[in-house]
Amino acid sequence: MNELTFSEARHLIARTGLGAEWGSVRKLEGMSKAKAINYILHPPPSHLRPAPYLSPWNKLEPMRVEGSQTRKNAWVMAQQEGQLLQGWWIDQMLRTRTPFVERMTLFWHNFFTSSLRKTLQPSLLHKQNIMLRQNALGNFRQLLRSVARDPAMLVYLDGYKNLKEEPNENFARELLEIFTVGHGQYTQKDVQEAARAFTGWGVHPENGTFQVRADQHDRGHKIFLRRAGKFNGDHIIDILLQHPRTAERVVEKFWRAFVSDANPPRKIIQIWAKQFYQADYDIKALLRVVLSSNEFWSARYRGTLVKSPVDLLIGTIRTIPYPRETIPEMVNLCRLLGQKLFDPPSVKGWDGGEHWISTQTLLVRASYLAKISRGNLNSKVNTGLRLPAKDGQEMVDWLLAVKPVNSLPEIPGKRRLAHALLRDPAFQVT
Amino acid sequence: MDRRDFLKLSGGVSAAGLAPEMLWAAEQRSAHLRAKKQRPTTPPAKRKLVLVRLKGGNDGLNTLIPFSQYDHYRELRPTISMPAQIKKLRSRVLDNSGMSLNPYMHRLDKWFDAGDVAWIQGVGYARPVLSHFESSDVWDTAMTHGRHANKGWLAHLLPRMHKNLHGVVLGDELGPMHGKDCHAIAMKSPEVFLSQITLLDEVQPSSTYNPALAHLTNIQSQVLHAKQEFEQKMRRPTQIGGRFANSAFGRQLESVAKMIINDIDAPVYMVELDGFDTHVDQLNQQNHNLSYLSDALDSFATALKQHGHWDNVLVMTYSEFGRRVKENHGRGTDHGAASVQLVMGGAVRGGVYGRNPDLKRLDAQGNLPMTTDFRKVYSTVAQRWMRQPSPWAAYGTLPFV
Repeated sequence: MNELTFSEARHLIARTGLGAEWGSVRKLEGMSKAKAINYILHPPPSHLRPAPYLSPWNKLEPMRVEGSQTRKNAWVMAQQEGQLLQGWWIDQMLRTRTPFVERMTLFWHNFFTSSLRKTLQPSLLHKQNIMLRQNALGNFRQLLRSVARDPAMLVYLDGYKNLKEEPNENFARELLEIFTVGHGQYTQKDVQEAARAFTGWGVHPENGTFQVRADQHDRGHKIFLRRAGKFNGDHIIDILLQHPRTAERVVEKFWRAFVSDANPPRKIIQIWAKQFYQADYDIKALLRVVLSSNEFWSARYRGTLVKSPVDLLIGTIRTIPYPRETIPEMVNLCRLLGQKLFDPPSVKGWDGGEHWISTQTLLVRASYLAKISRGNLNSKVNTGLRLPAKDGQEMVDWLLAVKPVNSLPEIPGKRRLAHALLRDPAFQVT
Repeated sequence: MDRRDFLKLSGGVSAAGLAPEMLWAAEQRSAHLRAKKQRPTTPPAKRKLVLVRLKGGNDGLNTLIPFSQYDHYRELRPTISMPAQIKKLRSRVLDNSGMSLNPYMHRLDKWFDAGDVAWIQGVGYARPVLSHFESSDVWDTAMTHGRHANKGWLAHLLPRMHKNLHGVVLGDELGPMHGKDCHAIAMKSPEVFLSQITLLDEVQPSSTYNPALAHLTNIQSQVLHAKQEFEQKMRRPTQIGGRFANSAFGRQLESVAKMIINDIDAPVYMVELDGFDTHVDQLNQQNHNLSYLSDALDSFATALKQHGHWDNVLVMTYSEFGRRVKENHGRGTDHGAASVQLVMGGAVRGGVYGRNPDLKRLDAQGNLPMTTDFRKVYSTVAQRWMRQPSPWAAYGTLPFV
């Protein structure tokens, strides 16, 4: 009964991985839903490519002083090394055998943002990426604790400047507003008290690792969300995790990442949040709930997610092995399309969804897709390009999540058909 | 109609009834020039705004030089205060403002004399941010310390007044026109756009309930609309005729002039001149940049005047911040706060607006404090040029247009 059809298998692969690789789709086709979801949720250990050379923390840190002459040099270095770092991740996403891990890392990168622009520390952002990767399918509580100790985050949200005598509220505020309970659930006083609890959590000036400076930690009594105690940062995180809105906010982001850009039914969010909470914030447990839900599989939500630039650039190449652009060019395209990796526009991350599409990005998307798929379309010429699906409906079902908007070419030929499908507006959604 | 509007319409201006910030302008410039000022002949929706971004943080103090405080200025800036040009500086004081225009911008002189150039001094915002990125964001979104603003300031105005293409950016960042309902197109040049656009297919209007696809096809039909517009008007465009300033920046403004002359239906154009982040060896670098700016603006104004569009165009420069008053050890200046803005056009009321900088009253970091909030300038553009209600009305307006 519950065996996946080709199009269902394609849907599961495309939404959880990068692209719709023919081999992966065929592998899941005919499997039971539960088994297929299990397969996705338990990726084998995967190889991570070594990072490019990135200047160490203590070289860049003294150069970062605001408004100074050396800051410009630090900026240039961070930009150049940042591009190498972006290239490193793009290359990883192109080659990996476990695209689900990359997608989840990217999801958390967008959840717990930090940027090159603000930190000017590419090496710290690389370390943050490793941390997100390690926690991507783990436990949200542990992830939040790691994030609060992450050097790139401590610089990005000024946590490292948060001292006993001069508390800095930036991290505390975003922790409440963006990472957990959200606006309206706390007062300015709560932000201040939370900031006090995190005082002294900083970055070691010599080696850029996390350190707690006991002399800078405010040991005093705090009142946070109507609880009182001599809280430290971990206590604050625990209190936030007891708040029902925290799980709901995380779950809302999962909805937007896996189900639809359209607003979720309130009821669904409550149910999923409850299950997430009961599973003590186990991320895999939440993913199982999401991927098993009727909403995930419903025809109503098919093709209602706009492909992100990463999805479009990397997913297309992983689906069809067209000759691809060089890594630096893909880094550049990612930026032009509005998803400069390691450099999201604000602490809220990329808006995503319909915001990916503007008159400007649409042109870049169209010319990229037209360019890679152009080649020789004459079906009598052997170009060596492998298109495993049969000409006609099978190609359409493989390459598109929903029916094409435009009419298909009248001349037969798989390369011609693929070229037309890539240029159809329906190719932009998943 | 408020009092200022009345004054503007009546043309004859008496200094007595004006707000303090326009005193310089009013007292010093002869009233007959302003009386001759043409009101733009086109309705607000057809008027053009040309934004010139001076990237990196332009040093206002070496653009409009505080000649009346020259000794003190030279003390603070021993190597970059142009002592050799002192005679020139004296002769280049604008009206009697005490401020002298950088000699490298001499091509703007005739336009200033014609009353087509206004300078606004001390523009910035309270509690200035000294990071390029963050301060550019402030200028782009008109939100200070405004966390998570995701909409450019023009994106608040344009969707209300214009249906189709809102703007053309020569470059790749939409900046002030960033925002979901604002339809701006970024291109290298109209020629490159015309070659790229051939790759975008016609789209059949979709009757889908799928909101993502509906949004996509909607945007796509907008681009195709722009395509038609450019195919029609820019495939074989009317040429400007005459010579245009030959710099990379000049070519950008030349493209803008071409689009305006050929009647591209978009109210905003954006160009950018980079290289104002002058931490080291500022003098030559900034002077050259300012000469590129003024040469290109001169060509631009000449071209538009010749083709009868100058009264319908408002050019405005902006930069993320000014620079530190005291020079640094590298004969340059570090990031600062308030700076000057140039506004130019046939309908502009020329002069120097805003208080002169006071070199003795700096903020804790040695920067010039803001005396004109930049949103006052935005409000002026919104209300007095585009004739739109301004989201920043609380900041008031200036009578420079």
